[in-house]
Parts: sequence; structure tokens; C-alpha cells
Amino acid sequence: MHLRFLIPVLLAAATIAAAAQEDASPQPLPAERSYEVRSAFAVIDDATIDSNLHPPLPTAASQILSSPFVNLLQNQLLLEPSLSLRYRQRWSLAASAVALAESFHGLSTADFNLPPGDTAASSALQASLEPYTGTRTQLRVKEAYAGLSAGDFDFTLGRRMVRWGTGYAFTAAGVLDPPRNPTNPSDRLNLNVGRDMLKADYVHGQQALQLAWSTAALDSCQSNLHDTTAFRYNVLVHGFDTSLIASHDRGSTSEGALTFTRVLGQAWEVHGEAAWREQAALLLGAKFSTASGVGFIAEFYTPPNTAYFNPGAVSPLAGRPHYAFFYVSKSRLRELPGWKEWDLDAYIVANLDDHSSTTACDVTRRFGNHFSTYLHGEFPTGGKTSEYGATPYTNATSIGVRFQL
Amino acid sequence: MSNINGVLRSLLLLFIVAFLAVCALVCRAAPPAAPDAMELLKRSDSYRNGWPAYVLRVKITNFENGKPDEESLYEVSQKGTEKTFVEFLSPRDKGRHMLMLGDDMWVYLPDTSRPVRITPLERLTGDASNGDVARTNFAVDYTPVYLRTEKVGTENCYVLELTAKRKGSTYQRVLYWLRTEDARPMRAEFYLTSGKHIKSATFDEYLTVDGKPQLHRLTLYDEIRHNSHSVLEYSNIAPRQLPDKLFYQGRTDRFN
Repeated sequence: MHLRFLIPVLLAAATIAAAAQEDASPQPLPAERSYEVRSAFAVIDDATIDSNLHPPLPTAASQILSSPFVNLLQNQLLLEPSLSLRYRQRWSLAASAVALAESFHGLSTADFNLPPGDTAASSALQASLEPYTGTRTQLRVKEAYAGLSAGDFDFTLGRRMVRWGTGYAFTAAGVLDPPRNPTNPSDRLNLNVGRDMLKADYVHGQQALQLAWSTAALDSCQSNLHDTTAFRYNVLVHGFDTSLIASHDRGSTSEGALTFTRVLGQAWEVHGEAAWREQAALLLGAKFSTASGVGFIAEFYTPPNTAYFNPGAVSPLAGRPHYAFFYVSKSRLRELPGWKEWDLDAYIVANLDDHSSTTACDVTRRFGNHFSTYLHGEFPTGGKTSEYGATPYTNATSIGVRFQL
Repeated sequence: MSNINGVLRSLLLLFIVAFLAVCALVCRAAPPAAPDAMELLKRSDSYRNGWPAYVLRVKITNFENGKPDEESLYEVSQKGTEKTFVEFLSPRDKGRHMLMLGDDMWVYLPDTSRPVRITPLERLTGDASNGDVARTNFAVDYTPVYLRTEKVGTENCYVLELTAKRKGSTYQRVLYWLRTEDARPMRAEFYLTSGKHIKSATFDEYLTVDGKPQLHRLTLYDEIRHNSHSVLEYSNIAPRQLPDKLFYQGRTDRFN
């Protein structure tokens, strides 16, 4: 009697044991935490040599400079911590800063033919050389804000980096964006800071309404800012990521703008901005990717020659300027050991009216997940009165080391 | 009388045995009906997408000549079949994230402080591409056709041929081996539009999470450079209520 039941029981036990061996012991579900933290820390040491620099000094100082050109070494040490905290999917705090220590070498009073015994001239000369000598430290708060999420609404108060423009080197619609420098489109040393603002976002699916009021009262770095009220409607429809933007600067002008981005096929992306602030500004750009991983970006930009768009480098008597930007990059140079740690990119930005340009290239080599080194070169060309030709050095070469946690 | 009953019982027994033998012959002779390829594919997707919305961590270790070379860590949030948010957690990529909405894709780079549209070709970078991490719903991206049944090791497997049906698909064609008894993925081969066989995959290990078997380890083999492969380890898999706001294309960071 017992044998009659023993065999099926043994068979059943063997089956269960075999099935259990296929999967490891069941994993418990990880509990959802009430808070999340993200942190990062980067250290960059950058040494830049401005070759054949004609230092922009007062006329009296320039006249007694022994040699018309000097080579100036600027060393920058940057510490860049950042921290973000989110509590119960509702409250968030974030802060990031840059502590900068910079020192200069290569220019001193010894490079000038000072009249002997003229202490007044010596004092005046030292004062004019101050931007190019010695060591200075600075703390920049990039972002420091608190956020509240309530349903489809998000509220932000504090300093926040906002970029509404779609261009790489230029923007006409980035009314709250940090200043875009076409000779440094990626903000190589991460020195841009956000704007102090109160912002409200309503996000529903792929649509968003954003209203922001930004004050310039606390911003000492960017003295040309105004208090700005800005509104943006952003929607993704049929692959077009489109925005309508309106803004008003207190005591200054108002702007209306339209932006779009679209991917076409496997390899193309197009983007553009059209803005009106006193006069029209237009940006058109495209990106092309190859199967081997090489990326190309080209942009055409024409802003009006007004106080808002004119960075001061173009003569106010000149007409509307026209700019072109071309960029090529390859990350992971080759998918081979020793090659895939290398990234290369190069770009040129040109003023099409005065035929001046700046060409730049970057070579980066990564060592594991924490270290990288880079070589960066900038080469301005053009007439002495042209926008990029007026750059006071013939080339600037930077070597740097970056460490990240 | 008893003799007649005995004869009748014998005849009945003989008839039953003959009937069973004929049935066995008929079943062996008739080919099995082809399985429903789309149903198989949907079942196989459940091993990598166990819930309508979930999060998990993916650690990718690249090996060169058998030695670990590079390591990357990601946190993936998935909602439905069309929305994927990938946060890059490795030190060199910190602050970067990626969003996929159907066929559209953005990368947020801290350098640019804004989301940047990327093209389908930009997804195929590195040993394990962004598409390998972010697009795991084959039933949405591919049209399956049943090819044959064959053994992988000791397991009987259905072999499906998957053809891309949307531009967001990472590969143009996939050969997919699914275990017959439960549609569990066993291996795969990936082909580009040019027909080039670019990668192969083995689905090495599964874990049971909340009663559902989920993929724990996947190995991708480079078919161009045969001394290179990547191991993807999935962990911290959990269903979550994920807000739609997380998948908004203008999001500049995970938290706000």
C-alpha cells in the first residue's frame, strides 16, 4: 500500500526539485525609498597658453611694453560639486557650484620700459596689469533651487540653468539661456551659471506650459541682464518638437520666438529658431550622423545688429551680421582597445561678412571611469578690425586633466 | 455464457489497443501546427518587461580578450512599450540621461544643459548600444515569422525571424531562439540594414521577481571583433508608479 503512493510522491518531488533549480531563489522586491540622492564631484586643472598675446592695456602701458607680444600662461583649478535630493516624489533640492582658482604667468612690470624712479607710473602699470597677473579665487553658484511637484505642476524657486534655445553655437530664442559663446559652444570648463527665477511648469503628456520670472538683482556675473518674464509652450507632434516663446525684459524689449527640432530618416536632424525682438533673428541648423559614428553639425545664424543681440564685437555701424558654424566629432575613435578611449572634435565659427573665423579642436583621452585628459586649441583668423581677427592672441592652447566622482 | 463474455472482453481490449496505436501513428505522422509567432514574441517580452511600469538597474561590463575593460551603470524607467527613461550613473557620464518616446530619442548632456535630439544611427554606439539598453519590447518594434524548431543545448527552441517595422528599431533583422515550453529567450542574432551580422546574444540567467521570471544576465558578442563581448546584468527590478512627467521631452534632470 505504501509503495503504491511512494513512487508518485518521489516523482513529484523530483519534478519540483528540478524546476526549482532552473531559477535561483526568488528575489524580494526592492522597496521604494522615500528619498533619492544624486551627487557628483569634478576637479579640472586647465593650463592655457595665449600665444603672441597683445594684451588689451591702456595706451600709456602699451606704449612702454618692451615687446608687442607676450605668451601668457593661465592656469585654472576648478572644483565642481553638485548635489540633488528628492523626497517622496514631491520635494526636490539641488545645488551645484564652481570654485575657481586662476593664476597668470608671463606678464609683469619687468616686460615694460618703465621710467626709472617713476613710482606713479609703476603703480598705474601694476593696476592695469592686475587682470593678467597674480592669483585669484572665485566661487560661482551654478544652480541652487528648491522644487515642488504637485500632480502635473512643477514649481521651482532659486537659481536654475534653463535652455530654451535649440542651437549648438547660437540662439535667438534662448531668452533665459546662459550666454552662448560660439567659440566655446559646449562650455568646456562648465562655467555657465543659471538665472535666479521662479518658474511654474504644467506638463501633460508631451505638452508643457512654462512660465518663469527671472530677476537680475542677485547676478553679478552677467551685468547686462534684466528682470525677465518669459512664457513657453512646448509640444511634440508628428516628430516635431516645437516651442512658442514670449518674453519681456523689464526696462527693455520684448521678444516672440518659434523653435523646432525634427529627426529625418536614420541620420538627419534639423533644428531652427525664428525670433522677433525689434527685428528678426533666424537660426537654421542640421546634424548628420554616419554609421561609423562621425557626427556633423552645421548652423547658419543671422541676428539683427541691436543692443540685445550685439555682443559688442560687431561695429554698431555694420549691417546685419551673418554667421556660420560647422562641427565634426567622433567619440570612441575606433572600437578597438587603446582607440575607443579617444574622442575627437573640431569646429569653426565664421563671420561671413568680415570673413573672420575661429577654428578649434579638441582631443580627449579617457582613463577608466574617473580620469580624462584633453588638449584644446583655438586659432582665430581675420583682419585686425574683424570680429574674430581682433582676438588679441594668435592661438590659445589648453591642456587639462579632469577627475570625476 | 462466460466464454462469450471472455471473448467479448478480449475483443474490446484488442480494439482499444489498436485504436491507441493508430492514434499514436497518426499524431507522429502529422506535423505540429506552427506556433503563433506574435504570441510567442509577446510572451518572450514579458521576461524583460514584467510589469506595465517598472524600474531596474543595468550594469554593462565590456570584455576585451576575456578581461573586463569598461563598466557602465544605468537606471532604466520603463512605462508601457513606448516610454523609456535611462539615467547614466557611471562617474564619467553622471548627469546624462536619455529619453525614448516611440521612434523619437533625446540625450541630455550636462555640457549643453538641454535635451538634444539624436538620430537612429547615433543609438548604435559602443559594444552595448543605447538601443540594447532602452528598447526591449521586440513585439512593438519587429514583425515575427516562425522559421523552425531546433535544439539549443538540451532545450527545444522555436526560431523566429524578426523584421524591423519602425524606424525606432535598433536592428533591421533579428533571429530569435525561444524555449518551446515557456517562450523564454535563449539566444539571438542581430543584423543591420546592410545584412551584416553585427551581434549575437545569449540570455544566460533568470531570476524570479515578485513571482515573475525576469532576465538577470545577458551577454552580447561582437561579431565583427570576435574577442570582444559585453555582459548586461539587470538588478533592482521592481514595478513602480511612474508619472508621465518623467517622460516629457523637455525634462533636463531626473528630479525636476
